[in-house]
Amino acid sequence: MSKGIRRDSPDANRRDPESILQGTLDMLVLRAVALAPMHGWGIAERIEQWSEDVLALGQGTLYPALYRLERRGLISSKWGTTENNRRARYYSLTPAGRKRLAAEIDSWRRLSRAINLVLQAVEE
Amino acid sequence: MRPQKPGPDRIDEEIAFHIEQQTAKHLRAGMNAEDARRAARIKFGAIEGLREGARDEVRGAWLRDIARDLRISFRSLRRMPSFSAATILTLGLGLGAAVAMFSVVNAVLLRPLPYPDSDGIVRLFQVSERGNRSNVSGPNFFDWRDGTKSFSHMALMSNWWGRAPITGLGEPRRVPSLRISREFFDVFGVGPARGRLFTAEEYATQQPTAAVVAAGFADRVGGPDALGKTFVLDGHTITVIGIMPREFDYPVGTEMWLPLSEEWANTTSRTAGNFNAIARLARGARLEAARAEISGVSRGLRARLGEGAVLVDAQIMPILELMTLTTRASLNMLLAGAFLLLVVAVVNVSNMLVARAVQRRKEFAVQLALGAGTSRLTRQLLAEALALCLCGAVVGIGLAAAALRAFVAIGPPGTPRLDTVAIDWASASAGVTLAVVAAGMLAWITAMGARSRTAASALSDESRSGSAGRRQTRLRQGLIVVEVAITFVLVAGAGLLARSLASVLAIDPGFRTDNALIVDITMGTQTDEELVQRARRQADIVRRLEELPGVEHVGLIDSFPVGNGAFRNGTFLEMTRADEFTNGSQIQELGSALGPRRGSAGYRLTNGGYFKAMGIPLRRGRLLEDGDAPGAPHVAVISESLAIAKWPGQDPIGRYIQFGNMDGDYTGLRIVGIVGDVRELSIERAAPSIVYASFVQRPRQAAAAAIVVRGPEPAIIADTVRRAIRELAPEVPVELRTSDGVLDAATGARRFNLWLIGAFGTVALLLAGVGVYGLIAFTVAQRRREMGIRLALGAHAGAMVRLIVRNGLALVIMGLVAGLGLTLAVSRFIETLLFGVTPSDPAVLISAGAVTLAAAAAATYLPARRAAAIAPIESLRSP
Repeated sequence: MSKGIRRDSPDANRRDPESILQGTLDMLVLRAVALAPMHGWGIAERIEQWSEDVLALGQGTLYPALYRLERRGLISSKWGTTENNRRARYYSLTPAGRKRLAAEIDSWRRLSRAINLVLQAVEE
Repeated sequence: MRPQKPGPDRIDEEIAFHIEQQTAKHLRAGMNAEDARRAARIKFGAIEGLREGARDEVRGAWLRDIARDLRISFRSLRRMPSFSAATILTLGLGLGAAVAMFSVVNAVLLRPLPYPDSDGIVRLFQVSERGNRSNVSGPNFFDWRDGTKSFSHMALMSNWWGRAPITGLGEPRRVPSLRISREFFDVFGVGPARGRLFTAEEYATQQPTAAVVAAGFADRVGGPDALGKTFVLDGHTITVIGIMPREFDYPVGTEMWLPLSEEWANTTSRTAGNFNAIARLARGARLEAARAEISGVSRGLRARLGEGAVLVDAQIMPILELMTLTTRASLNMLLAGAFLLLVVAVVNVSNMLVARAVQRRKEFAVQLALGAGTSRLTRQLLAEALALCLCGAVVGIGLAAAALRAFVAIGPPGTPRLDTVAIDWASASAGVTLAVVAAGMLAWITAMGARSRTAASALSDESRSGSAGRRQTRLRQGLIVVEVAITFVLVAGAGLLARSLASVLAIDPGFRTDNALIVDITMGTQTDEELVQRARRQADIVRRLEELPGVEHVGLIDSFPVGNGAFRNGTFLEMTRADEFTNGSQIQELGSALGPRRGSAGYRLTNGGYFKAMGIPLRRGRLLEDGDAPGAPHVAVISESLAIAKWPGQDPIGRYIQFGNMDGDYTGLRIVGIVGDVRELSIERAAPSIVYASFVQRPRQAAAAAIVVRGPEPAIIADTVRRAIRELAPEVPVELRTSDGVLDAATGARRFNLWLIGAFGTVALLLAGVGVYGLIAFTVAQRRREMGIRLALGAHAGAMVRLIVRNGLALVIMGLVAGLGLTLAVSRFIETLLFGVTPSDPAVLISAGAVTLAAAAAATYLPARRAAAIAPIESLRSP
């Protein structure tokens, strides 16, 4: 009988390595608000533009992600006004979020480099 | 600082803003307004879906979505009918038992009596030297009333006529009656539904001329027209002046209330407990304060009057508590039993759900991978548990409704308000509440099992089912231990009750209960002349019955043993000769010299035939005889226990006693014989000391009498007996019963408790068996491959079976040990319900353990044997 990997449920502040997609989404959102506070629509727009329309966010997941990140204390939000004087909720990065983003980017780079190495090895 | 929780308003506003921005963008791109908005919405995705998705992340708000999850869960239940049916039925059994018992407890013990502020109505008792609660004497009552401020109203009650024989209003009938003093109805704060209550004059006269009747009495004689009708009681005409509301029923079953003069009551003996007392606490008075106050007055009386006050203290008890005194412990036990059964049912179902969760772990893993949060999964489990439990509650309430009908029909004898027991809103909501709690438990346990594996490990766990669910298996093993433990408690409880019943049935009541017919007749009279005449008529009836064919012995007694509650107890005095005293004041003059001459005993009026008819043995001397006529010297027969208690080492025969406070006759009774003890109070209580006098010599108290007719075929002679009595006394109502039922009634409550707890235990045993079977079968299925390998490598099939059985039984034994501890911890609560057996009786506990173990062993053996039959090749080939 093999032992089988056992792991406890992902708790609120730990990344769940199995759900890569979700982790990536979090990283992208953090990145999008890293420059300046931005509202939900703006975040979606930014990601879409930066990715040259490749990453059209499944928008139904954007707000759940925002609320989840806020609950984990990685971003914070407050009401603000847009350039058209429209009230909107602005999200900004917290110090914890900034640290987390750096760690995420770091590990993503390592991972993508690793994947690239593998892909190149196969091609040679 | 905690991050702010997004409220629904915020979510809505952000969504609106998002769509607005998107629409604006499309407009800038040249779309028309309508298309732009539609495109924005399409891009956004379903708004409702987003709201739900967003709220998933909002802590606490997820309960709102449970309705939707419930709908999904109900649909998924329909997809697996046999699993659903099994779990719902199991939960239904547990919930049904709990709901049924809750309904009984609520209706009998908890629901207030239908009188305004009924908590404030209390009964007052004297406390005797031996610490017993006893009836109240008139003078003591008035001293209580004068000395206390805690009560706004106080009244005396007297069981004067008991079942009063009335004539002149339909068939001659015996009507449960009560005499009451002036403030009785004020104590209850209830007025008549029709007519009026008694006037001050009516209360002041010793011979009643008016009666207030129950609604049931009125129904029988013309409903509202009953007002103004007259009947004859004791030779006097009495008019119905008032009809009480239908819910007024105190004491339970009373159909007629007659006035009792306080002035007269105050002249009665201080040493005889002639009355019951009832009172209403004054507004704002607390029960404890009232208890302290009346207790102080009583101790003062004792200090002033010494033994002449009889009481040493007083006791107060709310009427509901008194009414439910004998049933409270049983019903609480049955309720506890039902709850234990419910726990077994829930544990059993969680076992099934954990097993199913193991099968579904890939489903869960996929959901996790697709982004469902763990809270989402927990919510789904909760919804599924809730769906099961709500279905279970519906089934359970249905079962409870059916069970309660049976409960009311055969319920424990002597349970007050049993007829009001039914499924009502309170019990239905209790059922739903229990279902929700059970669902919470189920979901929690299942989640413990389901959460233990993360998505990836479960998804990749394609074929290695041997390793799957090890944690779940451990959880399920824990559940089995709990299930077995609780089952043991129920089985052991049933065992203790069975032993108690057996002990009670083994008691010799001191009299025979077979082949006897009991005729209850009541003949009231007033004057001394009538008394003598009544005694002669009663004697005539006895003689006439003795002559009937098929009759062996005929006895007459003023109160038939066991459970009539009419056991009159009093203080007698030993005399030096038959005519030492002629009145009470001579006795009082003796003062402190009285003490050693006193004795305590019940006072019975009977004839010699009674002892023969009842099979009560004569120990020494002689029985009462025909020669003990009114003119002859008065004689008495005493019970064995009295002889031992009062005259240890001496011969009571030939001594004189007087019992003037019982019937006002101070003539001495010469003791002529000693008879065997009879358990008069209750089959379970020690036989009281009794003085038996002759009903023809002392006729005063023998108004209500039971005639015992012994013959080989009591049922056959019933008709001739009835006809014979009717011939001699046409105006007397005759009620016949057999004495077989007398002891059945006494043991009925025990039988009922045993029957019910036994049923709970059996169901629990069944469920535990199913649980053990399920777990072992599951383990065997999981270990097919291992078994196959072992068998292929030459393991002996028998050894395999033993291995599996041993593993299963280890669990069961752990459960038994836990159950034993639990039983010892809780059984003291049912100690008062036990008889002749201690809660830790080793024989009972061992046999309960053996029964549980046997059931569990059978449940383990079946799947184990199947495991041994596995063909090695097949098991290795199978995925």
